[in-house]
Amino acid sequence: MTPYRLLAETLESVAGTRGKLAKIERLARALSALENGELELAARFLSGSPFAEHEETTTSVGWATVARAAASVTGWDEETLHACAVAIGDLGEAVSLLSAAPSGEGMTIGQADAFFRGLSASRTAAEKRRLLEEMLRRSSPVEAKYLLKTLSGGLRIGADLTTVEEAIAEAFGRNREAVARAHRDCGDIGETAVAASENRLEQIRFRLFHPIAFMLASPIETAEEVADELPEFAVEDKFDGIRAHAHKEGGRVALFSRTLDEVTPQFPEIAAALAALEGTFLLDGEIVAWQRERPASFFKLQRRLGRKSPEEALLAEVPAAFIAYDCLATGERPLFEAPWRERRSELERIAAGRGLRISEVFSAESPAALEDLFERARARGNEGLMLKRRDSAYQAGKRGRAWRKWKKALATLDVVVTAVEQGHGKRAGMLSDYTFAVKDGERFVNIGKAYSGLTDEEIRRMGAEFRKITVGRYGPVRAVEPRVVIEVAFDTLQRSSRHKSGFALRFPRIVRVRTDKGVADIATLEEVEQLYARLTGEAQQTPD
Amino acid sequence: MPDDASQFLLPFLEARREGLYARAFDAFLDPIVPVPRAILSHAHADHAVDGHALLWATPSTVALYRRRHPDWNGAAVELAYGEPWERDGARLRLVSAGHVLGSAQVRFETDRDSLLYTGDFKLRPARTVPPVESPPSAALVLETTFGLPVFRFPPREELERRIVAVCREAIAEGETPVLLAYALGKAQETAAILTEAGIPTVLHGAAWKLLPEYAAAGTALPLSRAYETGPPQAGEALITPPSTSRTPMVRAIRRRRVVYLSGWAIRDASRSELDADVLIPMSDHADFEDLRRHVRQVGADRVVTFHGFARDFARLLPGDGVAAAPLLEREERPPEDP
Repeated sequence: MTPYRLLAETLESVAGTRGKLAKIERLARALSALENGELELAARFLSGSPFAEHEETTTSVGWATVARAAASVTGWDEETLHACAVAIGDLGEAVSLLSAAPSGEGMTIGQADAFFRGLSASRTAAEKRRLLEEMLRRSSPVEAKYLLKTLSGGLRIGADLTTVEEAIAEAFGRNREAVARAHRDCGDIGETAVAASENRLEQIRFRLFHPIAFMLASPIETAEEVADELPEFAVEDKFDGIRAHAHKEGGRVALFSRTLDEVTPQFPEIAAALAALEGTFLLDGEIVAWQRERPASFFKLQRRLGRKSPEEALLAEVPAAFIAYDCLATGERPLFEAPWRERRSELERIAAGRGLRISEVFSAESPAALEDLFERARARGNEGLMLKRRDSAYQAGKRGRAWRKWKKALATLDVVVTAVEQGHGKRAGMLSDYTFAVKDGERFVNIGKAYSGLTDEEIRRMGAEFRKITVGRYGPVRAVEPRVVIEVAFDTLQRSSRHKSGFALRFPRIVRVRTDKGVADIATLEEVEQLYARLTGEAQQTPD
Repeated sequence: MPDDASQFLLPFLEARREGLYARAFDAFLDPIVPVPRAILSHAHADHAVDGHALLWATPSTVALYRRRHPDWNGAAVELAYGEPWERDGARLRLVSAGHVLGSAQVRFETDRDSLLYTGDFKLRPARTVPPVESPPSAALVLETTFGLPVFRFPPREELERRIVAVCREAIAEGETPVLLAYALGKAQETAAILTEAGIPTVLHGAAWKLLPEYAAAGTALPLSRAYETGPPQAGEALITPPSTSRTPMVRAIRRRRVVYLSGWAIRDASRSELDADVLIPMSDHADFEDLRRHVRQVGADRVVTFHGFARDFARLLPGDGVAAAPLLEREERPPEDP
């Protein structure tokens, strides 16, 4: 019966060291002392997850519920708790700082698991709150801190699942790749740890229907960058939708999004179409809005996002489709290690004459030919190009150079920052999220919000500036005097009611701070209107 | 409400754009812009801007102000702690604030009323600054940099032990301790703690140039030398301002252990913000409990809060016949912990 405190203290000590090897070593030391059930749970908890990744279980505890429970246990009112969480940059950390001296008897690792499962099973906020209060009463500050961080979905200790995989390898003297492969195939870092401790990683067989991390692409800015490698690359259009993995066996289908959430009920027409196909497989592809026999813009698709069960009318108005571009398993056989070339022919085999949409594959022998493909992809309404090395394996969860993506910013606008917010993760506590506006006569009308593309150093410097020009606070948001001018790049410009300007930018990113410009120099709403007219005009002229 | 705050300040002070104005003395307290007549609580940059025509402050603060603003050509009147100044029916004296060398609170009184302006202060004793005083006063203008209950700092002895221990451990493992400490106050206090532990220190120029004032006040640092004389060698610790944590000077030290010394170090996020390894919440400001303690000891029944979490602290200050209001609507957090 190992106390959860040992894991919390390990996490605290991992947070307190910068070196990757030292982090791995500390995690490994904690893991190697455990076995079986406790080891399984500890591996999950140390990676920040209350459950196995393949479990369709969530604790569903909102910030407000935690704040209410913490208020009742610490004796501070909710407004103070909120102020403290903002000042510290993390609710769990704030609550642990407010907790009195080490109090209750703490929890065992098994009791921590029961706590998470209890939250998941409880249906009402009142019941969740009762469980939280009970936990806070019996926990020491460091335990409360990490239990709450786990609930909020991020430990922020500078260690990710890969670090935990490496710690498991280190703890039990196993091969790192073998641990990673087993973890990917079973979708549970806990089961992986136990298998590693019992030296039976090889017995873990690939299973469908659990979320698998996505292989990611590194960006390129020009065709010349990849000139030497061009013959190795297969080229596809980059679709403007949401990435998804489709698992299929018999009549059962599951769609998982990039965030590893299941989104199947949101796209019944896709699930039905896939279910009608023969065979068992796992495909990687893109969910897009589908109109006039081609993908429509992301703004169309957005109307479908976040709707658990879309109504018939919406399904008819904005139909969605799945465009497959990779095959990661067929039958019982995982294909992750197989080269792209081989995975592609499996994909084509599944698709042959059976109504599965798959991407078209091109080749480019020269940068000029790649430019040409890029222009054609844009003319088809797609974002740009994907380049995939034909000899590359599918590296789940990795952003490597085997896949590249090429998009071009549409244009940039000079805008003024009107509000700032603290970021998350590594940028917790830093004012890194900016809301910005263009000018409409004497008024400023917001047109977008972006997570800063600036360096940490710049964000810090800007943060100090924003704190000085704060004119009001609304929860975590600081309204600031409209003084700081930034240049934002974006991919498309669309009419939208989300912002006061009546426009929204797709993928806005901050290019630079324009200290050389004042508020008088920023874009006007009229200029945005003109830009929009020009862009939509151009779009109508391009050949279909 | 700001209106309450204005009422509470009377008859001694008025809130103006330049800062708090003491009518009887025709002078501003720590004004944020140059003024004809200023009373300075201490020499930190956010309280002591350059260019005042005439200023009043303690002898140490005047000396530090001159050192930090070598081109300043105004005039200064030195007021020792406790030395009375009477003008226009009111009396004023400076009392120790315990914040940094020379720091003072400003106490005003008439025959019927009294007010204490804290400037920046802390209650915990330190090596390089005389102990704080809490003279009974009817009104208190209180700096609330750390006016939230999450800001509760461990006892001074524990913090000092941690500083010495982390330096010894780093040195034993062949690393250079790099202590991020504000140039005026924290740097010299840290050097004094390490001197006592027998650990030699190398000081960044901004801190080193203030040592004559510390020596004059009785703080000798025989184991310290200036960074100008060369980067730290094995066995030495570097003391440098937090703003230098990502500069080539610090990065050039390949094997280093970076220790952030500040009240803000209570936030885990400051580790990534400053690229620090070790966070030690040693502050020259009062923590939440000490803020409340100061209010009790001064015995004020009207409290005006300013700096940091002024609104929250004013809201949380318990009743007991004490009324509190924040001076500024705007909450500001200083980038460092001066």
